[in-house]
Amino acid sequence: MPIFEANKLRRSVLEMAYAGSTVHIGCAFSIIEILAVLYRSHLNLGSGQPESSTRDYFVLSKGHGVMAQYACLRELGWLSDWDIHNYFGNGTKLKGLSDAHVSGLEVSSGSLGHGLSVGVGLALAAKRKGTSQRCFALVGDGEINEGPVWEALLFANHFELSNLTIIIDKNGYQAMGTTDEVMKLGSITEKFKAFGFETREVDGHSETALEAVLQELTQYPSPHPKAIVAHTIKGKGVSFMEGDNRWHYTRLTAETFQAAMDELERNLHS
Amino acid sequence: MRKAFSDALVKAALADERIVLLTGDHGYSLFDEFRKHCPKQYINAGIAEQNMVGVAAGLAKAGFRPIVYGLSAFVPIRVLEQIKLDVCYESLPVIFIGDGAGVVYSSLGSSHQSTEDIAVLRPLPDIAILSPADSHEITQCMRLAFDAKYPIYVRMGKADLGPVHEAATPMEWGKLCQVKTGYGKIAFIATGSMVRAALEVAKNWLDSPVWSVPFIKPLDTEKLVSLCQHYQALVVLEEHSIYGGLGSAVAEIAGTYAPTRVLRIGVQDRFSHYCGSYSYLLQEHQLSCEAIFNQVSEYLNNAP
Repeated sequence: MPIFEANKLRRSVLEMAYAGSTVHIGCAFSIIEILAVLYRSHLNLGSGQPESSTRDYFVLSKGHGVMAQYACLRELGWLSDWDIHNYFGNGTKLKGLSDAHVSGLEVSSGSLGHGLSVGVGLALAAKRKGTSQRCFALVGDGEINEGPVWEALLFANHFELSNLTIIIDKNGYQAMGTTDEVMKLGSITEKFKAFGFETREVDGHSETALEAVLQELTQYPSPHPKAIVAHTIKGKGVSFMEGDNRWHYTRLTAETFQAAMDELERNLHS
Repeated sequence: MRKAFSDALVKAALADERIVLLTGDHGYSLFDEFRKHCPKQYINAGIAEQNMVGVAAGLAKAGFRPIVYGLSAFVPIRVLEQIKLDVCYESLPVIFIGDGAGVVYSSLGSSHQSTEDIAVLRPLPDIAILSPADSHEITQCMRLAFDAKYPIYVRMGKADLGPVHEAATPMEWGKLCQVKTGYGKIAFIATGSMVRAALEVAKNWLDSPVWSVPFIKPLDTEKLVSLCQHYQALVVLEEHSIYGGLGSAVAEIAGTYAPTRVLRIGVQDRFSHYCGSYSYLLQEHQLSCEAIFNQVSEYLNNAP
């Protein structure tokens, strides 16, 4: 039974990042606990196979965080150690951005602002078919610069997609700087509330808090779609990466790789 | 043509509850019958085309058969990336309807005119491009589209030009349709609204055949190679830019397999400068029958 231990997942991410040379580390680390909690206890995986017809949908709209999801799929046994250790190798299947051709990934979301709309369509389909399937969509706070995100919010509210839960990874950074520097967001929570969402804020690295808020919202008897604004830290888990936006897309050296692995190893056993 | 389209839509939706029609707040009376007979299968997604295509992709992934309707100036132009990534990359069975293609919205200006939709879609893998010329062709195109299991774009141009086929003609996927016989020096090849113009202009070359091309992609390469081999020149007509549309596709085939002369008649490399009626805009773009005749005559008279 996979346990989805956060720092073990981070070690998988580092293994991939080192094998792949230049990849998105910081944005994968910020969503580790969110994915751990979802895969451990909230996503109904149906028959346990990636294409199970009764599964809940998990849409990683911020597709550049995909290494975090690969790490979870490894725990499930849907990806092998070989896949992880040969990341970005010639002829391999795991790309640097989410790709629906990989079993277990629902959308191709390398281009930002796409995944949420597809997730909305999946949630609408479940409603119309009368199934109990839910859709969880993880969106980056930088990603919501994109216009289609707001189109999707309008649609989800209008069609009362109560089976849709959007989690916003609010790490405060995007590729070229902080979200305030690049494109002021104001209060994401107030914006989502204004769009008709049942909205909560949570510490995105507290698995206890995430468990509680997901439990509360998914049990919430309301026709409204749900949103969770998760406060996170970009690069969370490795002290020299935390809050340093250079790790958005940076090459690991042998030294930085080893230092990061050592720190995660210590935390794993502390 | 619009009634035939509406009839085909209603008939298919009544027979298959997986069919869902999405529109970006367009269509007006076109969907009255659909809304009356299949209200639960109609979704007005609002003026938000990018999300609409993503939602259609999600519905298709979950087993529905979405039809996405919009003006061709917006679908596919405004949503090209969503069509590429959300739909074509997974080869999902979504049917896109681009209405008012060409310069149909003559008085509204370039924002609502569409002379580049074929060109932008042709390089996308897996999508088929259909361009019916009349009510008979659109009925057949919709029937074939509903049977397909991959993305399809149906280009609808000027709808009230009347039939080019005398009666319902069985159509085969990917094949050209001959609408006038003849074995002269030149052959006319046209699509959409320009098939009617080709028939009119061809009266000046009575021994020349006219072919309608309802399938821009896949294109009937075998037949086109045969035409290249039999005729001194092919005249290709379309209410679309001369770049990247049917004329370009025919020239590519000719250049690759059977070099012959291809005259591409369409919208030159320019936007509409003026406002006016549909026929006025055709004149502005040298697509009136008289202008087409002059271009063909000049081309043939100046042949090396």
